[in-house]
Amino acid sequence: MISVGIDAGAATTKVLLFQDGEIMGYRIASTAFDFVTAAGKMFEAILASCNIGKKEVGNVYATGYGRNSISFADKSISEITAHARGVSFLFPEVRGIIDVGGQDSKVIAIEDGKVVEFLMNDKCAAGTGKFLEYTAKALEVPINDLGELALASRHPAGITSMCTVFAESEVISLRARGITKEDIAAGLIAGIAQRVAVMAKRMGLKEDVAFVGGVAKNGGMRAALEKELGVTLYVPFEPQITGALGAAIAAQGNR
Amino acid sequence: MPSSLQSLDFFQDSYELRIAQLKEERGKGIKIVGTFCLYVPDEIIFAAGADRIVLCGGKADTISVAEQSLPRNICPLIKSSFGAVVDAYCGGNLACSHVPLVDVVVAEATCDGKKKMYEILPDYLPTYVLDLPQKPGSPEALDYFLSELRKFGKFMERLTGNVVSNDALKREIGSANETRRLLHRLFELRRRDPPPIRGSEVLRVMQKQFFLSPDQFRQGVSRLCDEMKHATPDTRTGPRIMISGCPMAAGNTKVADIIEQKGGVIVVEESCTGTRSFWDLVDEDADPWKALAERYLEIPCACMTPNDQRVARIVDLAKQYDVRGVVYYTLQFCHAYNIERLRVQKALKKEKIPLLAIESDYGDSDLEQIGIRVDAFMEMIA
Repeated sequence: MISVGIDAGAATTKVLLFQDGEIMGYRIASTAFDFVTAAGKMFEAILASCNIGKKEVGNVYATGYGRNSISFADKSISEITAHARGVSFLFPEVRGIIDVGGQDSKVIAIEDGKVVEFLMNDKCAAGTGKFLEYTAKALEVPINDLGELALASRHPAGITSMCTVFAESEVISLRARGITKEDIAAGLIAGIAQRVAVMAKRMGLKEDVAFVGGVAKNGGMRAALEKELGVTLYVPFEPQITGALGAAIAAQGNR
Repeated sequence: MPSSLQSLDFFQDSYELRIAQLKEERGKGIKIVGTFCLYVPDEIIFAAGADRIVLCGGKADTISVAEQSLPRNICPLIKSSFGAVVDAYCGGNLACSHVPLVDVVVAEATCDGKKKMYEILPDYLPTYVLDLPQKPGSPEALDYFLSELRKFGKFMERLTGNVVSNDALKREIGSANETRRLLHRLFELRRRDPPPIRGSEVLRVMQKQFFLSPDQFRQGVSRLCDEMKHATPDTRTGPRIMISGCPMAAGNTKVADIIEQKGGVIVVEESCTGTRSFWDLVDEDADPWKALAERYLEIPCACMTPNDQRVARIVDLAKQYDVRGVVYYTLQFCHAYNIERLRVQKALKKEKIPLLAIESDYGDSDLEQIGIRVDAFMEMIA
């Protein structure tokens, strides 16, 4: 059976095609204002690239913040369930998930592929990709370089403000004091890693923890989080697609 | 969806009726007491020949008025209530029309936010504060609370010019117990699977408990129970949910509504607008003052320490009502209930009952964020 998962996230939209226990293809794009049309186009593009007709698709499941607006989806499920199923498919041994996305972060505890507890931070930009985006801008470095920069730091700067707006002004004052970009980047990343790690520790996540979401692509962030938690994190080959993957797996029907 | 229960209309239509009644009473010189909390015994107010209405605010409208005087980061119930009083006594039109009908507020020393708000309230309304011991388990605490109740009785006597006699008190205890027994009957019916009434409907009834006169309220609940006995049960088969935590004052049904939209079946509420208001009865055979003191100190509010009785009550209710999950509701910035969550969660975990914590104010900005949590929780316990 062929199924499709659509993760209409706040920052990016992901579409994934799944068939017979395999990922056939996926697409990732920035969430546009008209994200429903955009998701529809991604859906058609992926079908075309895999040479599959619309009629051959069994079910389409949507997840993410825009999940209830995807009119061509058969059903929607929460991101929590979607990530749990997607990550469990990739790493069956995993018992905890840390997802840091563009505008929220969440921590999920799983047992036998089933969610048993979760925590979300979606009220504050601190601890999300947005925080990195803003502070990278203040540092005048591309967001993708922030992690590498941080890894080169020898004396990470202490960033006291975890408010995204005020962290920006703190970065500027640190630069005025002559602190290097590397040390500031490391300070910023350590700050957000600490914030996310507190959520994971609250839930008692210890071993076999996966790190997913767009921010998991950031090597410096991954290293900082591993240091905070004292574990090696499982990171999928493409950390942004686990929600769409989980939705596609759920769309297969069997648990 | 259960077939709409017609006796619920009474509660919806009761507002104007009650306002007319209060106005008439005022015309006759009967004093109207405004209250904010279950710890203030109705029995003493009625025994003194006064009437009472609850002033707890559940609406966002008056919050900006309150924020002109109070800090922004305190609970929305305090802000909404205070804002309503300020607005009503400064000639505004935001507060509900019952607020200006109050002669005096009888407040209580519960949480810090309320205590400090009650210090500002006298600028607008005469305010009497009933003190409470914070460690209610000891004989000394009971003696102290008993003396506080007697003082409060004297205050009511001065206010009304009537004597609070033991006979009058016993009569009112009987009346209040009758209400409590009736509510037990209502909640007993909700143990059915599926229950014959929605949780949000019960909440709207409970929000009227201290607003209507005891007679009016009992009449409504009694009719409702009779109708429920023969009602077509709800055919939805969503997971049975218990709400536990802060009060949901009239106007605030946000979280209950979301839970039901997402398919949850709310069967019981451990809150001031739920079991806490009626679960324990007053001993009708004992000395009325002592019996009142004993019963009211049993109210399991998070301002008490250690609040073991609440933790035990929650676990007990979760089992009695056969719930699949507990939604722990905290008003934003309510530290007492927010901190107590950890103990509740641990106790429920032992019984393998999952808990979802939701902290929210009276605004609409987090509807989607609460929705996603409730969605995920429903999927988790399905």
